[in-house]
Amino acid sequence: MEQNRRKNKIIQGPIQKKLLLLVFFAAVIPAGIITVCLYYLIFNLLAWQIGIPEAVAYNLIPVAQKVNLIIMITIPIALIIIWVIALELSHRIAGPIYRLEKDLDAIIAGTKKGPIQLRKNDLLKELADKINKAIR
Amino acid sequence: MPKLKILSIAAVFIILLGYVFVSAAELPKWFPFKKKDSLNEWEEKIFKGRVLYSVKATKTDGYLSAISKNAASGIFYRIRFNPKKTPLVSWKWKVVKFPEASKVKLVVDSEWIEKDDYAARFYVIFPKLAFNLTKTLEYVWDKQVPKGTILTSPYYKNIKIIVLESGREHINRWVLEKRNIYDDFKQAFGLEPGEAGAIAIMTDTDDTASTAEAYYDEIRVGYKNGTE
Repeated sequence: MEQNRRKNKIIQGPIQKKLLLLVFFAAVIPAGIITVCLYYLIFNLLAWQIGIPEAVAYNLIPVAQKVNLIIMITIPIALIIIWVIALELSHRIAGPIYRLEKDLDAIIAGTKKGPIQLRKNDLLKELADKINKAIR
Repeated sequence: MPKLKILSIAAVFIILLGYVFVSAAELPKWFPFKKKDSLNEWEEKIFKGRVLYSVKATKTDGYLSAISKNAASGIFYRIRFNPKKTPLVSWKWKVVKFPEASKVKLVVDSEWIEKDDYAARFYVIFPKLAFNLTKTLEYVWDKQVPKGTILTSPYYKNIKIIVLESGREHINRWVLEKRNIYDDFKQAFGLEPGEAGAIAIMTDTDDTASTAEAYYDEIRVGYKNGTE
């Protein structure tokens, strides 16, 4: 298994890029919408509850400014984390596709005879097993 | 799947329609404060301490009394109306006692938050989807600031204070105010107003740590000339 270890996280260019963006935006867009909705829902409800404009300005605006600061700091961190997770997930799918494609090319060319081996945490292992059975 | 889609859209539409109908107010709204329970439809909003708001009702008439002792709280009424269609708001007010000058020495002249107390305030609030964009017109009766002055609140730039009455000339007398909030908003903010969402009243003395007393009556909201 170790011999199959891939150091490069971007292997299957177009497919992985699509997967990467899909996973990234599938996480970022709903999270962003929920954050914006919750932010305004909570602060608007609080503003209505407080009522008197001076009281809203005195009590709520400083809180909102602090929350904004926290959001400004956490958003880049969250985006980096989501990006790393998306990269890892896309790699787990694109990696086996790359391996399958490369090994099948080698088998077709007659330069490889052994079974196709995937990494421990790779997805598509069942597909590789079925291909191995087929080409045995 | 298409059925589900249609049902979802229909549900959202019904909710929105319900919101519009439920929140649409019957205009003009009139508050004569003739009954003891007239304040039941208002919400009390406390900022710093509690101002005593009570309805002084007689057999034929009544008014709203506000007595503030080192406190700032208001009463608040939610009412949605379009200031372009029904721009007029009117009320009567009477100041019995003004807040005293601030006992707090100002560090900088511009720091006038310490003297931001008025014997009587009448608010018209224009809410926005983003709470920080909500704008407020605040009509006040001040002891010193000249009539007609438009100030920006020391608390927030989106609160404009319009001085309607100034000084002691009319103290202890009912004064009728009738304002076109559409014009006032444009003058104060330089923008077209959105929908108005609430009105409020406050007599406050928290910043000057003093006492004040004022009365309010005959509040009429959301009408145009000839429809009062």
